[in-house]
Amino acid sequence: MSNSPEQATQKRVPVNRREFLNLAWLASLGFFTLNIAGVTYLFSMPRFKEGEFGGVVNAGSVSELPAPGSAPLNLPVAKTWLSNTEAGVVALYKVCTHLGCLYNWNNQQQKFICPCHGSQFEADGSYIKGPAPRSLDRFVVRAIDPNTGEVLAEAVDSPLPLENIPANAIIQIDTGKKVTGVTHT
Amino acid sequence: MLKSLNFNDLRQKAVRAIDNRVRIITAGLGLDELRAVMRGDPPTEKPNPRYRVHTTSFLFHIRPRYYEKGSTIFTHTFRLGFFTSFFFFVELITGLILMIYYTPSPEAAYQSILELESNVFFGKLLRDMHRLGAEAMVIFTALHMLRTYLTGSYKKERSFTWFTGVILLGITLGLSFSGYLLPWDQLAYWAVTIGTSMAEAAPLLGQQLNLLLRGAPDIGAGGLLRFYLAHVVLLPLGAILVISIHYYKVSREHGISLPARFEEGNVPPEVKKNAKSRVDFIPDLLTHEVFLTTLGLLALLVAIISFGYSAPLEHHANPQQTPLDTKAPWYFWWLQGMLKLGDKTLMGIILPTIIVLLLIAVPYLDRNPHRSLFKRPIAVSLGLLSVMTLVVLSYMGLPVYGIETPAATRIIQDIAPEEGQGPLYEIPFDQLQPGVYTVSETPPDELCPTIDFGCPKLTEVFLEFNNRVIEAATNPNLSEEQRLPNPEAVMVIEDWQQDLRKVTLRIAWDDPRTNQRTSYEKLVFMHRDHIRE
Repeated sequence: MSNSPEQATQKRVPVNRREFLNLAWLASLGFFTLNIAGVTYLFSMPRFKEGEFGGVVNAGSVSELPAPGSAPLNLPVAKTWLSNTEAGVVALYKVCTHLGCLYNWNNQQQKFICPCHGSQFEADGSYIKGPAPRSLDRFVVRAIDPNTGEVLAEAVDSPLPLENIPANAIIQIDTGKKVTGVTHT
Repeated sequence: MLKSLNFNDLRQKAVRAIDNRVRIITAGLGLDELRAVMRGDPPTEKPNPRYRVHTTSFLFHIRPRYYEKGSTIFTHTFRLGFFTSFFFFVELITGLILMIYYTPSPEAAYQSILELESNVFFGKLLRDMHRLGAEAMVIFTALHMLRTYLTGSYKKERSFTWFTGVILLGITLGLSFSGYLLPWDQLAYWAVTIGTSMAEAAPLLGQQLNLLLRGAPDIGAGGLLRFYLAHVVLLPLGAILVISIHYYKVSREHGISLPARFEEGNVPPEVKKNAKSRVDFIPDLLTHEVFLTTLGLLALLVAIISFGYSAPLEHHANPQQTPLDTKAPWYFWWLQGMLKLGDKTLMGIILPTIIVLLLIAVPYLDRNPHRSLFKRPIAVSLGLLSVMTLVVLSYMGLPVYGIETPAATRIIQDIAPEEGQGPLYEIPFDQLQPGVYTVSETPPDELCPTIDFGCPKLTEVFLEFNNRVIEAATNPNLSEEQRLPNPEAVMVIEDWQQDLRKVTLRIAWDDPRTNQRTSYEKLVFMHRDHIRE
């Protein structure tokens, strides 16, 4: 049969119907798999409520902050040391950049010292000495108008200056946005 | 009536009926044949029914019909692959049983381990077996890989088998690491914190990856559940799939490689023929496997019962406090060592990725057709060099390397560590004589002259404290961090309550860096009835 002259002369179509349909099913399956991967990714990604670590945490109003240059404030909920330096407010992530230990404020020496391996940092988080590869990580800090909720000022990788901010403004720490400290050489 | 019954006939019928049932269960082996298998006799029927089992039985169809005699030589494989899968099955079975009592939540996990260790028949034994089996599986996987590398068995047609092996190495480490967190003690919590923070160093995706792994910015209830599910479902499923592919390649496609001495060079034909002769799976290899399984189980039990292996369990996880000398699990020490050498992204992510890619690419990079150790000097020396590098890096990953703990902290923590056993805890309660013992004032050999049985253990510990403080104070060769100029060190023992004593270790010194008087102290409460493990 396959040798019949009609079949031999019949042109072989580049893609026949079955091949096309099979390719279409496979493409749909591939697309579907990608969808499932995306859904799984979004499903597994944790979301954070306000006031929860990983989300936005309120640190009180500007008037409640410690005086500039005094000991930083320990905020366990935000896993943060809130430091009010001369240059402005910094929210430092509590975890040492060396191996993940929790460092502490040493009031006598006026610096952060990690109990594990002795890394030391200034009140604004910058590296002094020790095995840590970089300065302390920071969270994004915002000043919010208490009445309108409007963002008055935002500081990403610099301290938040308080000069032009009213005393009743709320300081917010966005613990979902971490800024990696500067690597020293 | 009796005469009408033909007993002989009846007996034959019964035997035949039983024989038939047995044949159905054993996929073709009759009673006589089973006996012959047990005895190692030649097959009783023709064609050989032992081969038929491999096509009719599910469990046997994945096993080979035979191996070539040369490949079964002990010093060629050391049965490392067998023991790797043996330990996988040990983990599977003990793990399933342990799941009965385990609850994956931060509130209940530690409690369920305590319950398991103290109030469940054989609970501690099963946990010890599971932990020891996990360590052994990692060790045997690595040794199996090293053996395959040294005998050149990854070459040519076996390159894909090598690739699946590299994936299995990753899955094995993942299984072991995810199980590490589950007891929710300080050891687990901080080792995994360090391990997952390495993932954070990955460029672009690091933070996302870390969130996916931990379910939160730090390890908590979500992270524990994710690790648990990975440990009991995702990774075992992956392991079973890849092990099946890996094993199928070995058993049904290429067989175990012959030692190079039978394949390369001028091998006399009769030697080659002998090496290629078949050793049937049933009965010889099966018998051997039964023996090895028994041996493996015996070794596990002896290690636990006679040598006293005990799975570690420290205090309940405390996210607010990092213990001194925190380290990753031992099979990641090399990574921790690398992290000390440079940038977290380069050393923690980029270099390890390159190492894994190189490992996968080994069969394609190595174009040398020879398999004999002596004909591949470069490959063998590179392999041995890598092993030595790993050992050195692992040493560098330990807290003793490159991390200077201040002298006072070091001395006091060595005598009374936060976790585990230490010299101070070994002092019997009655020897803890209340008093103030001052370094270089109290004569260290006369601590309690008033009690007639003396206090040898207390004296020993105080002597160590005394000597180390004096050493740190007087040795001029030590670094600034390690020196204790002008020290005042005391060990105070007080009666605190009935049967409870408080031990204070305190060192004060002039800190040369700040020129200030600094002190470090630690309090330990010891109870008469408390037994520290």
